[in-house]
Order: sequence, then structure tokens, then C-alpha cells
Amino acid sequence: MDRLKSGEVNLGTSIMAVQFEGGVVIGADSRTTTGSYIANRVTDKLTHVHDRIYCCRSGSAADTQAVADIVHYYLQMFTQTSGAPPSVHTAAALFQKLCYENKDALSAGIIVAGWDKDAGPSVYNIPVGGGMFRQPWAIGGSGSTYVYGYCDATYKEGWGREETVEFVRNTLALAMSRDGSSGGVIRMCVITEDKVERLFVPGDQLPKFWEGREIVGGAVKKLDVDPIPMAVEV
Amino acid sequence: MSSSSIYSPPGFDFSNQLRNNFMLQKGLPLPKATSTGTTIVGCLFKDGIVLGADTRATEGPIVADKNCEKIHYITESIRCCGAGTAADTEFTTALISSNMEMHALQTGRKPRVVTAMTMLKQMLFRYQGQVGAALVLGGVDATGAHLFTIHPHGSTDKLPYVTMGSGSLAAMAVFESGWKPNMEREDALNLVKLAIAAGIFNDLGSGSNIDACIITANNTEMLRNVEMPNVRVQKERDYKFRRGTTAWKKEDVRKLIVEEQTLLIGGDEMDTS
Amino acid sequence: MTSIGTGYDLSASTYSPDGRIFQVEYANKAVENSGTAIGLKVKDGIVLAVEKLVHSKLLVPDANRRIQTIDRHIGLATAGLLADGRHLSNRARDEASNYRDTYNSAPPLKAVADRLGLYVQAYTLYSSVRPFGISTILGAVDKDGPSLFVVEPSGVFFGYNGAAVGKGRQLAKTELEKLNLTELSTREAVMEAARIIYLVHEDAKEKEFELEMSWIGSESGGVHVHVPKDLLQEAEAAAKAALENFE
Repeated sequence: MDRLKSGEVNLGTSIMAVQFEGGVVIGADSRTTTGSYIANRVTDKLTHVHDRIYCCRSGSAADTQAVADIVHYYLQMFTQTSGAPPSVHTAAALFQKLCYENKDALSAGIIVAGWDKDAGPSVYNIPVGGGMFRQPWAIGGSGSTYVYGYCDATYKEGWGREETVEFVRNTLALAMSRDGSSGGVIRMCVITEDKVERLFVPGDQLPKFWEGREIVGGAVKKLDVDPIPMAVEV
Repeated sequence: MSSSSIYSPPGFDFSNQLRNNFMLQKGLPLPKATSTGTTIVGCLFKDGIVLGADTRATEGPIVADKNCEKIHYITESIRCCGAGTAADTEFTTALISSNMEMHALQTGRKPRVVTAMTMLKQMLFRYQGQVGAALVLGGVDATGAHLFTIHPHGSTDKLPYVTMGSGSLAAMAVFESGWKPNMEREDALNLVKLAIAAGIFNDLGSGSNIDACIITANNTEMLRNVEMPNVRVQKERDYKFRRGTTAWKKEDVRKLIVEEQTLLIGGDEMDTS
Repeated sequence: MTSIGTGYDLSASTYSPDGRIFQVEYANKAVENSGTAIGLKVKDGIVLAVEKLVHSKLLVPDANRRIQTIDRHIGLATAGLLADGRHLSNRARDEASNYRDTYNSAPPLKAVADRLGLYVQAYTLYSSVRPFGISTILGAVDKDGPSLFVVEPSGVFFGYNGAAVGKGRQLAKTELEKLNLTELSTREAVMEAARIIYLVHEDAKEKEFELEMSWIGSESGGVHVHVPKDLLQEAEAAAKAALENFE
């Protein structure tokens, strides 16, 4: 299934959202590609659609930005007419409607997550065809295929904030290390009733897992200077 | 006669594109558009934005224009560099420029860079990549200095330094090694010049001169041809043949009109008094 | 009404010199000629009741309902022109289903009342249409609990704890005011509603009438349904008994 148009900007991505007792943690890598070129290495794929509702975008950058912009507009209208903030379910339903009704023209895999008064924290997965599924945790994008097993084996119900953040950070680091279209830095958001907190893990401080080891008698790695971290906009 | 349905779905009709692809397959290619195989860049500095562009326009392997302008006017303090199909960048920026002026008149405020960015991305998204404009949009407004790239399908990125066009890889290499936060105006301009020069000399699609534009809160400076690294030098030799190089034996001048007759048709002669 | 006619009452698109729209006021008259309809918002639910005047003995009992369901959890009762009530309830159903389609969740009653208000108001603007000759009681138990609204022919709508429209509304309102609505259970409210409808019915003037009642609450599973037959009969019996004592 080749849904991307030629020359289209792609979010070959690793994205994730996990709910916990008081809120949700969402996260994403930061790579945007056009073919083999990285068009943006510090992309923000965690997109605000309302005060306490965010979405993680994967697929075509143009399509997902357009859809998120439309939902953002609808939710503002909803708030003005109903006088109360929308539920995450409502936001997810709007995403689902757009993604399903225009499925032939879109390549968008979106995870909607946030906090509301009705349900507390919640996570909705809206994969490419335009379905909508409520899940305690969801992963998406090309990098997600490498870490389903890790998530199944690791996730536990009843986690607190810190454990959940660590789970997201580790999962994304693993996905980014195996998926060539994912990489860069990890961006995360912790959404609770009181606030939305942004977390950032630089590309040279990602959690490390097994990375292979040098074969005896093989080439010797020489590094007499420490690598300088890349400049990143604050 | 059975007529086809008068119903047509909302939105644009791309059926001609299918037809054109089919004809292309059968060996009937479309006419080529002038494209700006280009290097365009933008860079944030302490007080604003510096935009840069080369000045080569190509039609396939031919240089169509050796000194074209690729930094387009949007508003006084918002400018936009265009790469891709020349006609598309020219007309989309002109249209958005017009709409931005109308918007400014209607709201009575200086328009914002995000407004131009949103207008451009929504238009390009509507045309699903058929409008081949790849843009670098930069400017300064009430909320500060902003720099965006806009791809032909309508996706946007907000970054402190950006490059686009076929020379973007060469130019990005310069930025990645030389860009620092909070640069001085002169340093930023020099970096932009270096980036464009990298495109001009290392990318076949880019060439000729360097244009730059420095935008700050209360001044916009358009530096047309700030650098001309490719001026044509005096030819070392003259290849013209001297007059009289060829000798001739006979000269014959022939009158081509054999007979001429003037005939007045109908009415009186025109009164020319 | 003081100054009848004088040409300013022929169209809903014309004001009278003192700023009134007679067609809308006449529409209110149409409501006043109709059998009473009441709505009660109580502790844990909503009760709707109407006095359905039976103009022919040949009509099938319990058919020709005047209370209708708009969505699973929304009920609607009208007083006034019956056909207008049918039309407006269809519109309300469309609005409710449209809300469900876009937001994939049950519409709050306020959203439906809001849209219906806009719709009814549009019929007070043009010379080519006639304002709705109905007042509409909307009741629902939504995510914020029970709520009750009345949409008038002018298009305005208000939220109420107890509402009464139609012929006997004055007496019904005084009876509703006597009740401690916020303390009442839905089952108790059914008994009170039946009593009020029997009380306001004028035996001398009108012929037969049928009591039609619906409720929404925990006992109906949060869904709008007509009250069960046995409960209706029990309420009617109690209402008749109370009436004996009253007189």
C-alpha cells in the first residue's frame, strides 16, 4: 500500500501515547523526511488541538497538519457554542470522521490523547483506514512495528507519572534505534488536569540499550575528542 | 441521446491528470515548465531574518534566465523565496501578497507571518501538490521574527535556519556547520551568502548571482545581486572574421517585384484632409 | 391584545409601530387553544405529561401520540398545532442525529434546544412563512443530569424546573410551584403530573381527554419512554381520587 504521493514530505515516525492514573504521556521522535533527506531533524509531531487534548501525527506531514488544523478549528467552535471544553472522545471522533470520509486522499495515522472531566485521561488510536479505538496505550508510525513486543511485555496497569514517562522514553529510543525513518530527539508531553508539561530528550542523551560489541581483533574505534552536541533551538 | 450525469462531487477534478499520465505512458510528453532548480535559504539572527536565493532559472538542461528574482514580496516585512515551478511560485506568492494586503486593510493591523504561512499551506494543500511551489517564508511581525518552509503538498516546518530547492543539501551543510543562535546582522548575511554560493557552485540547477533580503522590525532591505561571482569576463580572443576575408567574383542584385498594380475597391477614397 | 389588525398583522416580516410582531403573538394564541402539556425536572429524572383532547370517539385509544422521542434520552411534548409539532420533532431528530454524527456522542439537551430555537426564530423573519403555532417542552437526562427547556413561537427558549404550556398553563404553573421538585423522585413526579393534568382539565367545556405521560430516569434506564401501563393507571386512579378530595 503506497499511499504517499511522489515527493511528499513524510513523517516516517515513531509516536506513542500512554494513559496513567492522573493523566497521559505522549511522545514522538523528531524526524521528517523527503525520500532519503531529513527535511527537519527537530520536528514537533505533538500537536495541540485544545487546552488538554493533543495529537501525535504520523504519515504525510501535509495531510496530518491539515487534519489537525481543521480539528483545532472545530474544537474552538465547539467550546464557544457549548460553553465547555470538549472531551477527548469528541476530538477523536472529529479526527476519525475526517480520516474515514477522506480515506482515499489521506495517509494519516493519528493518536489522540488528553484529559477531560468525563473520562479523565484517555488515549484514542486512529490508524490509516480511519477506525477509532480507545486503548490504555497506543503506538504508531513506521517505528512502532519494532516495539510492539517490548510494549506488550513491559506495560503494566496502575503506573504513576514517572514510570509512564520512562516507559515512553525507552520505547521510543528502541523504535528510533531500529527504524531508519525515525530519529533525532524525543519530545514528550505530560497532560494532566492542572497543566501540560513538555519534556525533551536530546539526541545524544537517549537511553542506551544493547548496541553490539566490538569483535576481538576487529577495527579499533578511536575517539580522542568528545563529540559536540548539535545546536538545538530552545 | 443519453447524457452523462450532471452530478459532480465537490472539490477539484483531477481526471485530466489521469489522462495526462496515460498519454505520457503512450509516449506523448507534456510540455516542460520553467523550473527554478534552485538554492533558497533563510536564517534567523538577533534582530530578524535574512533570506537568500540564487538567480538561475532552468528549462530542462537550458538556463532560461541568468538573473531572475526568487525573493518575492508578500508584505513590507514579510518576504518569500520560491523554488519549484517558476510560474507557480510567482503566482501563488502574488496571490497571497494580494490577500495579505486586503487582510491588513480589513483588520487595520500589520499582518502576521503565520497568516501568510496558513494561507499558503491551505492553498497548496487544496491543490494536492499540483501547484509545484516549494517556499521559504520569513518575516517579522508583532510577535517576533518567524521563518517557515512550505512544501508543495502543504506541509510546513518552523526552524531557525532553512534551505530549499535542488541546492538545499549544499546550503544546509553550510548552515549546519556555521549557524549559531543570536548572530549579528553581518555574520548572518555572510552565512547566507556562503550557503547560496555553496548551492551555486555545487548544484547544477543553481547558478549566477546571489540575492539577499534582510528583514528587521522596522526595516526591510532587499539586496539584489549582493554578490556576482559569475560575471562574464572580456574574451581573450576575438573570433569574428575580418571584413573581406571571403572574395567574390560577381555581384547581382535582383528586383523581386515584377509588376505592381494598385486597385481601389468600392466607395470614395478616404478623406484625409 | 389592544390594537387588532390595522395592516401590521398580515406578515411576520412587518413590525407594528410599537415594535411588535403580531403574527408571533397570534401563534401564541394557537398554543393557548391547545390541551395542556407539562414537564417536570426532578431529582433524578424528567416527566412529561399532556392532556390529549379526544375530538372523536372513533380515534384509536393510545394512538396519535403528542409526546415524541428525539434521541434515546430526549423527549419532546408540544402544545398548539399538531402538525407543527410533528414537523419540529422531525427537525429536532435531525439536529440530534447530526450532533451524534459529528461528535460521536449523545447531544446535550442545551445543544438541541439551541439549534431548535434558531430554527423556530427563522420563521419569524419572512413574509412567505408562518411562525410555528406551538410551544415545545424538551426534556432529557444527559451527561449533566436532568434538564428541561421550553421553546416558544418567537424562537426564545428558557430552562425550567417545571414547565406548563397550553390551555391550562396558569393553574398548572401554580400547582407546579407548590411542589418541591428538587426533592421529588421520578416515580413521585409521575403521580403529581397526572394529578395536575386531571386538575387543569375543564370537564364542563371539553369532552373526553386522554392522559399521555413519558419519563426519563434511572427507572427507564436513562431512556425516554412512555410510562408503563400499570403505573399510568395507578397515577390516573390516584389523580381522580385526589380530585374528589380537592372538590
